Amino acid sequence: MTISGRLRTFIIIGLLPALLIYAVFVLIPIFWSAYYGFFSWKGIGASTFIGFDNYAEALRDPIFWRALKNNLIIVVASIGGQLPIALVLSLILRKSTLFQRFVRSAVFMPMVVASVVIGMIWGYIYHPQIGILNFILDTFGLESWIRDWLGDPGINMYSVSVPVIWANIGPYLILFISAIQNISSEIEDAAKIDGAVGGKWLYLIVIPMIWDTIKVAIVLCISGSLKAFDLIFVMTGGGPAQSTELLATYMYNNTFEVFRYGYGSAVSTLIIVISMILVLGSQLLMRRK
Amino acid sequence: MKITTDGGLALDADRAPLSRFLKPKWSWIGNVLLLVYALLTLYPLVWLFISSFKTNQEFFGKPFALPTTWNFDNYKRAWEIADLGTAFVNSVIVTVSSIVLTLFLGTLTAYILSRLEFRFKGILMSLFVIGMLIPIHSTLVPLFIMMNKIGILDTYASLVLPYTAFELPVAIFVVAAYLTSVPKDLEEAAMIDGNGYWGTFFRIIMPLAVPAMATVFILGFLRFWNDFAFALVFINDQSLKTLPLSLSIFSDGYGTDYSLTTAAMAIAVIPTIIVYLIFQEQIMKGMVAGSVKG
Repeated sequence: MTISGRLRTFIIIGLLPALLIYAVFVLIPIFWSAYYGFFSWKGIGASTFIGFDNYAEALRDPIFWRALKNNLIIVVASIGGQLPIALVLSLILRKSTLFQRFVRSAVFMPMVVASVVIGMIWGYIYHPQIGILNFILDTFGLESWIRDWLGDPGINMYSVSVPVIWANIGPYLILFISAIQNISSEIEDAAKIDGAVGGKWLYLIVIPMIWDTIKVAIVLCISGSLKAFDLIFVMTGGGPAQSTELLATYMYNNTFEVFRYGYGSAVSTLIIVISMILVLGSQLLMRRK
Repeated sequence: MKITTDGGLALDADRAPLSRFLKPKWSWIGNVLLLVYALLTLYPLVWLFISSFKTNQEFFGKPFALPTTWNFDNYKRAWEIADLGTAFVNSVIVTVSSIVLTLFLGTLTAYILSRLEFRFKGILMSLFVIGMLIPIHSTLVPLFIMMNKIGILDTYASLVLPYTAFELPVAIFVVAAYLTSVPKDLEEAAMIDGNGYWGTFFRIIMPLAVPAMATVFILGFLRFWNDFAFALVFINDQSLKTLPLSLSIFSDGYGTDYSLTTAAMAIAVIPTIIVYLIFQEQIMKGMVAGSVKG
């Protein structure tokens, strides 16, 4: 065989398995779900073609829009909670002393814990009868603050946002620390001479200097919010009365609880479209600034 | 952004002390606040481990106190009643198979895409980029239907194949980024010595790529070991359930036996905490690099 022939065989044989697995389990399902979305199918028996009915039904369902709104609450909570905390911590945690390394590790620790466990822990913290949050409030005489944190539809989306924020500060902290370290010491010294310390230093020097990194972090917050499924599924299952439904739990409950595979497929397709709009849209917006 | 040669982020520069941000006399207050913050952050996990040694009465009555006697028995009972042994073995089998497959295919693909010249290379690269934008939950329904049709639902393969597929893009980009920083001399010499492409891959590239593969290994371990959504949808057979899935089912059934449930949760978390304590710097850098590229 010629050299180029051997090269070609190697490339084909080498790429084939990865491409095959990747195409079959990541790319093709997207098209299948768009296609199944046109059918009414209970999982067994025949499926009937119903055109755009599933898509139209989802877009008319107020719960679908509530789920989308809840997803956006998580996005806002991530951007408004994780990023400022991570930014402030990153200004302080730039040394490699034992103490600072300990704090950094502690902040990052929840990232390695299974989200099922995180959801269960916070389920206990928020529990209306035995939860430690209400126990603390009771101990300090704040009985009037006691709530059914996950059951009250007025506040439960905010309650579930807290563990989402708590668990995901770590990566942003690391991201910001390494960005701040790229600010040259000349700029720092010049800023100090000009009197830019404390808050001024943060607003006038740090934020503009690491703006590119902040943009990356915002995009990560948006795409990360779509992954909050596990936590919310374990804590509330989307309830009570679908008040904490996310797009992903809405999809799950409509597919695997009531066996509407066609409808679930249509919702899956809408999730892909929405997340593409969110991620690409945020990147476009960021580029302009 | 500064990306170090092992695919991680630089974290070690040490020239901007706290005093730059705060006046010296305030810095000890800053440190106290920092300590309080760190302890608050750790508290939910500490509470889990403390609770797992308590009796149910202590769990209700004194949620903040240490247990009067440390009941290691909770762990033994949780292990037996929740059948965590089976779940543990399943998690190990699924995680190890997915990691091996991801490492081998990811490194091979990264080698071909970063080192060899051929048509469609750019298209293939962007195809793998798209994969990182797809929210995995949106593929649950079509994957369920598809795997049901080809009859691999409710098998180890129904987890190993999707895990590998979704981790491949990250693996390819981490390894490819690392390989671009390595000079080509070694592989060219190996080719001249008559090793061929496969020989070069196994004898030169794989050993060279070990630091990047370590990052992929850690990311894969955490993702696969902790996964809940895929296991929830694709696994129904009691004897195939992984740890997170068994845990959520167990807590539904034994929800009011808190000493058992917290012990079971602790068992599921301990392996990842141990791995984290050993490899924390690599994990922090790797997860950030993986998510930025993702």
